[in-house]
Amino acid sequence: MLGGIIGPVVTVLLAVVFPALAAGVLRALVRTSLLLTLPIAISALLVNLFFFPGGHQVLLRLGPITATAEGLGFALEILVRIMAISGAITLFYLATRPQDLVVDLERRGVSARVAFVANASVQTVPAMVERAQQIAAAQRARGLDTEGSLRRRVRGVLPIVGPVILGSIAEVEERTLALEARGFTRPGRRTLLWWPSDSTRQRLARWALVLALLALVVARIAGRLG
Amino acid sequence: MPDLAVESLIHVYREGGVRAVDGVDLRIGAGERVAIVGQNGSGKSTLVRHLNGLLRPTSGRVLLDGVDAAMRTVAQLARSVGLVFQDPDRQIFAGSVRAEVEYGPRNLGIRGEELRSAVDWALAAVGLEFDAKTNPYDLGASRRKLLALASVLAMRTPVLILDEPTTGQDERGVQRVRSVIGEAHAQGRSVIAISHDMRFVAEGFERVVVMRDGRVTLDGPPEQVFGRDAWDQLAATFLEPPLPAVIGDRLGLGSTPTDEMLIRALASLG
Amino acid sequence: MLTLDEVSYRYAGATRASLRDVSLTLRDGEVLGVVGRSEAGKSTLCLVASGLAPRTLGGTLSGRLLIDGADTAARAMHEMASDVAIGFQNPGTQLSGVATTVYEEVAFGPMNLGIARDEVLRRTESSIDALAIRVLSDRDPDRLSGGQQQLVAIAGLLALAPRHLILDEPTAQLDPAGTRLVSDAIRRLAAGGASILIVEQKVDLLAGVCDRVLALDEGRLTLEGPAGSILADPTLHALGVAEPSPVRLRRLANEARIPSRAIELALGRAANVTDA
Repeated sequence: MLGGIIGPVVTVLLAVVFPALAAGVLRALVRTSLLLTLPIAISALLVNLFFFPGGHQVLLRLGPITATAEGLGFALEILVRIMAISGAITLFYLATRPQDLVVDLERRGVSARVAFVANASVQTVPAMVERAQQIAAAQRARGLDTEGSLRRRVRGVLPIVGPVILGSIAEVEERTLALEARGFTRPGRRTLLWWPSDSTRQRLARWALVLALLALVVARIAGRLG
Repeated sequence: MPDLAVESLIHVYREGGVRAVDGVDLRIGAGERVAIVGQNGSGKSTLVRHLNGLLRPTSGRVLLDGVDAAMRTVAQLARSVGLVFQDPDRQIFAGSVRAEVEYGPRNLGIRGEELRSAVDWALAAVGLEFDAKTNPYDLGASRRKLLALASVLAMRTPVLILDEPTTGQDERGVQRVRSVIGEAHAQGRSVIAISHDMRFVAEGFERVVVMRDGRVTLDGPPEQVFGRDAWDQLAATFLEPPLPAVIGDRLGLGSTPTDEMLIRALASLG
Repeated sequence: MLTLDEVSYRYAGATRASLRDVSLTLRDGEVLGVVGRSEAGKSTLCLVASGLAPRTLGGTLSGRLLIDGADTAARAMHEMASDVAIGFQNPGTQLSGVATTVYEEVAFGPMNLGIARDEVLRRTESSIDALAIRVLSDRDPDRLSGGQQQLVAIAGLLALAPRHLILDEPTAQLDPAGTRLVSDAIRRLAAGGASILIVEQKVDLLAGVCDRVLALDEGRLTLEGPAGSILADPTLHALGVAEPSPVRLRRLANEARIPSRAIELALGRAANVTDA
């Protein structure tokens, strides 16, 4: 029953748990991962436990529905696979600083402009929110009723949204001029002041992971892992 | 025309816990012209936003003609207190100058002939009477600022608050602002202006309030606030008295905060 | 040396030219002030002199922009950056938005130009010192005051090691403390031999820092000459430009028939006081 589980469990240990331990984020990873996958996990468990076609070995009988051993086996398999995927994604977010990632990508050849957009996007939303607040204050000072009936408040949307959009567009033009004036549009690589350090250990670990992936794929194709 | 009273006003911003206004008591009588000066962060903007209800006190109260402003919504207070913000681009949304100026009075329920005449008067007061159909973004930055001023003038409020009316204005624009303030005063309205321009303040206002770290440190006529005895306090808040005040003091002519006063003092020497 | 030779410029989609037949020269080490009413073409002049118009803005340019006598028409915008750097009045929009520290912000320009890392560091250090903002090096640029942000922006421009610096109303949006910070910095740069073209409404500021001043009216150059005489020119008032405080005082005194000796004495002594 548990034969099909070995592959996924090994993957999770190698690719998720050990690196998380090394990065010091294991506790946060477990917490976040569990939170993320709990709904799916519960439903997958229940559905497969009770409704797995081809389940014979009965574990539990609850009125008209039965829990089967085959069902449990399959459910566990699915659970581990889900944990592998969610664990890997969560590990990526927890162990990587966005700045480091963007700089490293740029060092390896990604265009400076892509890197710029990745970094700058984060700032846009708070700036727009602040702008909208200021505009709302100015319109309220001119009698815009934000405390009255819903109909009145709906009518107040354009005097706020309009300047937010127009202002943001105008600001983009100003920013563009300033960037161009500082050589932003120069083609080719730009000088980087710093980048995340890469050690032999990290490089070995990366290669080890890639090889492990290849090995797993080969084993799968060869039918060894079921 | 109502008077304004601020009693023991304290305002702490929830975000960051900044004590922007730290105990201010102020009375502004009907028809007064008051300038509020101080560095950014001294609490000037926070203070005036309490006068039309945009901000509510953490403690203390604001009274409009004896009635607590807390009893009224911002939209209701907008009938009595008009506030012109510093950045016109964080307000302008209409496709024409006229439509923009109509917005405020329309919100107050003004229609028809009364609306038309209020808008006409406001446009003429700022010199935009021939641009009624122009798209606001076809006006230069200076005139857009005058447009924002007109849009509040048209609401005919008895109290007018201007946040940095001369910043970004050329000399002609500053002249316009001066004449608008003069006319409002002549009509008996109270005018409160936040400004960095000490000459504009000394020449156009009977009363100057200096703020620092959320408190009022000086409050009086320009002769007092820009007089020798106040210089140390002004310097502590990085403000400088206008040139004629410095010259008048050096020549032993007393306090002469404006060019006109200095000239008169020199002339009377014979 | 930066030269505009009979330059006219019309924005894309505009019916009229914003600059007409303007010719001027900004010599190395000179500080040139530009005055005029709103929409007289001062900002347009800055955009043309920096190369942004027409390279980034489009529009039609006639006449020539020359750097050290060589026509710049064929040069791309990023090739202009190391000759002419331009600063604007809004402190916030000049920051790159991607730097977490002031140091990184100042280094942004030379990094873009692909200059060797050591040179980038050297220029960043010297620009930070030139603007006296070393104490701000590790701060987040977004959290600085307007005046501080302008200093950072100007430091960022200096890091490009431009031959000429153009500043379009750098103190327009600043409070008195910020204006003081920036005008003191400009004065130091000027004293250090920088070439600066500066547009300002604050004529007192210009009086304190400019060698020459020119006035624009409806896109045309109408006055040009030594700062002292241009700023005292009575026709300036008709062009919508304010008078510097001492000039105004002298004029009012003349009109009131007060002997000029008293005024000059007063101004001289006041100058000693305010400079102290």
